[in-house]
Amino acid sequence: MGQTNIESLCSKFKSQLDCAFDVYTEIRNDDTFVISPDRLKVVVAMINEHFDGIHLSTITAQQREAQVDVIEVMYNFFQGVGFSLMISLPTKAPEVTSIVSIIPGADFYEREVAEMFGVKFTGRSETPPLLLPEDWDQGPPFIRNEVNND
Amino acid sequence: MTKITIPIGPQHPLLKEPLSMKIDISGERVLGGSLRLGYVHRGIERLAQKRNYVQNVHLIERVCGICSHIHTTTYCHGVESLLNVEVPIRAYYLRALMCELERIHSHLLWLGILAKHVGLDTIFMHAWHDRELALDIMEEITGGRVLHAANQIGGVRFDLDEAQVAMIRTAVEKLHIQVEGVLDVIENEPALIARTRGVAPVSADMIKKYCVVGPIARASGVDVDMRRDNPIPPYDQMEFSVVTLPDGDALARILVRVHETRESIYLCERILRDIPEGPVNTRVPRKVPAGEVIIRSEAPRGELFYYLRSDGTDKPARLKIRTPTLAALCLLPEQMSAIQVADIPVVLAGIDLCVACADR
Repeated sequence: MGQTNIESLCSKFKSQLDCAFDVYTEIRNDDTFVISPDRLKVVVAMINEHFDGIHLSTITAQQREAQVDVIEVMYNFFQGVGFSLMISLPTKAPEVTSIVSIIPGADFYEREVAEMFGVKFTGRSETPPLLLPEDWDQGPPFIRNEVNND
Repeated sequence: MTKITIPIGPQHPLLKEPLSMKIDISGERVLGGSLRLGYVHRGIERLAQKRNYVQNVHLIERVCGICSHIHTTTYCHGVESLLNVEVPIRAYYLRALMCELERIHSHLLWLGILAKHVGLDTIFMHAWHDRELALDIMEEITGGRVLHAANQIGGVRFDLDEAQVAMIRTAVEKLHIQVEGVLDVIENEPALIARTRGVAPVSADMIKKYCVVGPIARASGVDVDMRRDNPIPPYDQMEFSVVTLPDGDALARILVRVHETRESIYLCERILRDIPEGPVNTRVPRKVPAGEVIIRSEAPRGELFYYLRSDGTDKPARLKIRTPTLAALCLLPEQMSAIQVADIPVVLAGIDLCVACADR
């Protein structure tokens, strides 16, 4: 457990995945790896197998002021130490594969990101709104360049 | 036998807060269910982007009416990390004292609700009577029983004098005796044991799959507690036991929480014994340097997650809150399968629902 395991995970990324990843160092307390959205599911599956069941703390999404054409989605894990996977999706058509089949606990987190940011999670069943009213028609509340939230 | 779907909520005598569930039953067997949140969704994450860091302390406190203090503690710790300020150690101890009192009051509140749901009104009365002691202490310290306004960025807004410390010591000792009595009743009450043993067991494997945290996870043998695994001060300097039980049923969930209440009383006693002298806060700038931080803490219901990003102004650019109840609710439909209709209140109460937390 702990830092050693994160380092061995990094080695595993490099040796087993044909997947370039960067380390994002701006977030304090969590090691953050930037990966391509199309590799998300395979990376999560590898992490889950590596730790024999990984704890997903949550899924965090945001749109940075300087990059409104991108929605950043972070998968925040904890296994002795915190670490995260970060992907970037285009704001106009944000779509990524669901990880619910690997981590069922991701269900509510994906639904919340879908409602608040309009991200479409493919490969999972359609669900009714989790937090927003059923008759909400004003678009995802957190999307800065499409909705006036004031 | 015909399948029937029963709607429960959003307003229902079983629920203390609004939540909508649809439960499928066949005869007396529950086949499964689904749920819908959002009835007390206040958009707190979005509102936080419109307020400055100081105003947000008071907004964040209103995420939850039971564990309000741990929310502000986690938030303030995140802002202080971005500010790189050194918070006085006495302030950390005072925060931890309030956190443990909050855990005691939250667990006793929950125990009363569970006892009420299974028809044991005597335990309900005792648990809520004892909880009053914890609330009295918090009122004496901060002036508030529910919302304490104890935290500020850079420390706490209150200090304790010798008379208050003596009063708290006496109250904590009394609480200790009464909680031991409640524990004795729970461990030996045949009606409660018969009503909860073996009900809706959840395996450690299932807990891991659904990423459930806190006492529910520990009642299934998953040894996790953010106070030990990812401590914010002063827990990194304190020794305490993390209570786990292997059974994962409703009885284990009761026993874990009551043992944790006892452990929190020990922690209160140790904090009062070890608290150092010194200032309780430090001045901080209004603007926070650009940066990002993730803070995890242990709320009464488990791991509390905060992500905070500053763009260098006096308002957060993004604040993400994940409360432990949201993780536990994800497991609820799974827990609802293959139980008896009469066990629905026991399963619901076993989660220790805090819908306001989950909705934010």
